[in-house]
Amino acid sequence: MSLDSGIKWRNPLFVWGGKRDVEELPTIPFRSHQEVWEKTRQSRTKLNPVGRLRYYYKWPSHGGTMWNRLRYWPTRRRVLRMPGDYNAKTLRAEKTIVDKRPIWWMLGLLALAIAPLFTPGDLQNTLLTAGATFGIYSAISLCWMLIMGTAGVFSLATYAVIGTAAFVTALLAVKFAMPWWLLPPIGALVGLVFGGLIALPATRLDGFYYALLTLGLNELCRVYFVTSKEFGSANGGLYGARTYIPEDWSQLGQLLLAYYACFGLMLLALLLYRFVNGRRLGRILRMAPEKREAFAEATGVNFRQARVWVFLISSAALGFIGGFYTSNFGGVAFSIFNFDTVLLGLAMLVIGGVGRAEGAVVGTLIVVFFDQVLNTWGPARFMIIGLIMLLVVLYLRNGLFGIKAQFRAWRDKKKSERRSTRAEKGGEMLPEEATETQDKSVIYQRRHDKMTRDHLKTLVSPEIIEEHRHSLNGQHSEALERLLIYFRTRPQVEKYAIITVERFEGYRIVALSGHRGVAPRVVEDRIYSTPDEACHGVFMRRVQDLLES
Amino acid sequence: MDIWFIVSNTIVLACIYGTLAIGISITWSSLGLLNLSYGFIFAFAGYGAWLFAQHVSTWGPAVLAAGILSGALGGVIICAVGFIPIHDKPNFTIRGLIATLAINLIGTQFLLWWFGPRSKNLPEIFGNWSVSLSGAVFTADKVGNVATSVLILAVVLRWMQSSRRGLEIRAMMMNPHAASIVGIGVRRTSFYVMGITGGLAGLAAVLLSQTYYISPFGGLMPMIKGVSIALCGGLGSVRGAVIAAIVLGFNEALTGMSIGGRYVLVTQFVVIIVILLVRPRGIAGLLDKAREA
Repeated sequence: MSLDSGIKWRNPLFVWGGKRDVEELPTIPFRSHQEVWEKTRQSRTKLNPVGRLRYYYKWPSHGGTMWNRLRYWPTRRRVLRMPGDYNAKTLRAEKTIVDKRPIWWMLGLLALAIAPLFTPGDLQNTLLTAGATFGIYSAISLCWMLIMGTAGVFSLATYAVIGTAAFVTALLAVKFAMPWWLLPPIGALVGLVFGGLIALPATRLDGFYYALLTLGLNELCRVYFVTSKEFGSANGGLYGARTYIPEDWSQLGQLLLAYYACFGLMLLALLLYRFVNGRRLGRILRMAPEKREAFAEATGVNFRQARVWVFLISSAALGFIGGFYTSNFGGVAFSIFNFDTVLLGLAMLVIGGVGRAEGAVVGTLIVVFFDQVLNTWGPARFMIIGLIMLLVVLYLRNGLFGIKAQFRAWRDKKKSERRSTRAEKGGEMLPEEATETQDKSVIYQRRHDKMTRDHLKTLVSPEIIEEHRHSLNGQHSEALERLLIYFRTRPQVEKYAIITVERFEGYRIVALSGHRGVAPRVVEDRIYSTPDEACHGVFMRRVQDLLES
Repeated sequence: MDIWFIVSNTIVLACIYGTLAIGISITWSSLGLLNLSYGFIFAFAGYGAWLFAQHVSTWGPAVLAAGILSGALGGVIICAVGFIPIHDKPNFTIRGLIATLAINLIGTQFLLWWFGPRSKNLPEIFGNWSVSLSGAVFTADKVGNVATSVLILAVVLRWMQSSRRGLEIRAMMMNPHAASIVGIGVRRTSFYVMGITGGLAGLAAVLLSQTYYISPFGGLMPMIKGVSIALCGGLGSVRGAVIAAIVLGFNEALTGMSIGGRYVLVTQFVVIIVILLVRPRGIAGLLDKAREA
């Protein structure tokens, strides 16, 4: 920075003829304070995209439809959560579908309903049988989900209940030639009694303790039924009950009837799930999740009773399904008590995600596909199912339908990590200091001060110093004016002052203590002969302090 | 029916199932993992011993050692696959339980696929002699079973009492969090624990194969018995497991004598329910402090 940069500052007050005014003085080019601001604000961290934000399609709307709601007829319940609102920016009326799950449900159920029309001819037999099995097993999974998800009782006794109901109804049907429509209600009764028996310990035990208790229940039932005389120990099961499928129908008609009957059973189970999980019992139990039971109890929620209720309801439903099982297949095999059956059933719940109806249905779909459609693969298909279950449990927090929430949590974590790495503060405060300061405005004041100083440092130049030496008072160039305003607004502590050593002869620079009663401190030995020289000396000291800061 | 036959049978079974139950108990209390893949470890160890007997040697102690080692290997595999990836993840208790069940499914189906459904039998490890003592006949396999299981359990418990590794395991059983603070690695210790408990399961497998056969699903019943005993005795307590093994063994003998063998599981279930209704944390809920999940 040299004296002859060529840029001149014209003193606008020169025409008034001040005593020491000069018309033009060399100065420095204009530097905007905005540059420092931009440089401080600019991020030097590489930004990686980590997925987009939540996106909702905004459906058009107008005043008339804004408050229209489609409701289930006798109730006030809405079919779709689709609130209308005015866009805050454009003031356009628009509607947002907040929860799209009912749409997916409708599409999925519709697909299942019309699926038999689109099965390829050579696979029709396999696929329709698998579809019927899927209907029954998804109903079972939904009821089990009520026990495991809603009631939070980790029960492995489900297939014991179903098997017992199926065997008892099969025995009654064979012995007394009962019509098929009596079997499900009888099964429900059996299931209720069985469920009542095994609900006893559920009042005292919680979580996995109950799983350990019921681990052996299937084996117990298997041993009992296999070794008993009445239940036909020889031929691997008990068959011969009358089914609802008429004998004189064509094979395709029989398959279709079975498919739609099982589909109807699944719809019934969905309805039950909705009515237990989504209403009072479900609400009570959502209030008392694991490890927060004490709080729920303290607020007067009788969650134990609710648990037992859910347990009993789903046991009766499972018994109903057991009776339906008999009237569908005409009997039941001992393989329903196998430990692998329990594990496959557990896989259905775990793969989809515990605590969600859609999890139960989709998990069942996956497992039944491997189990029934690929049944030529032998033990390999169980290994594949087990592998899927293992991977899901190892890497997903709550099954396939928990992926969305888990991904969002991960994305938020990554976002906040990145945000913390690119938050470059100016070093105006140590981190501990910044967190412990009560008055947070101090941090921002210091940051502003630092940016001001950074800007002012660029203004210090020989031209400015020369200008100040020449004219202490009066009009100054823009750069010098900024410097002086900054210097004048410094706090009293360590502010420079001039004291008179001897009038008109000796002046020296001191620093104020800033405290009443504490004398100023002498900062240098030099004695100036005039106040103007001393004043310039103060300016030079301040410039030095500024450049050192 | 000979009363001595039933009593001695009960003692033998109680010893074998007690061995499994102590393994389950130790795993739970030190790692917080409910290992329900013992059915697989059991069958795996049995097949390991069978392969050893087929291809290397049929000498009893060597077959026993092979069974124990392959059981330990099975335990280490389960630790690596089912414990290490999720032991610090949320909701570990239930996820670990499901993971071990999944491993059980995969493992037993693999054994079925590899070895076929026909069951195998091991050579007689303890020879073929018997001792008659005041009217009671003790056959070689019974005496051998009881002696071996008691001996190995005593060795394992002694090792846990006196060695550095045992101290680490006991520290984790007392307070896993504090143990990790003082420098006991959860992962490293978990391999020891799973190796040892797997070895105990392997021992039980070889001993039980003297009475039953080895089949892919043969480990289910021992696992159910072991879990029942561990649950009944109080998870995490060796003393409770011993008491529960005696109680359930006694129940088995009484049921078998009075109303018939097919009701054994039923009465056992009723007994466990009664015990758990009185004491939700098992018999040893009084003796030891149960681990909070």
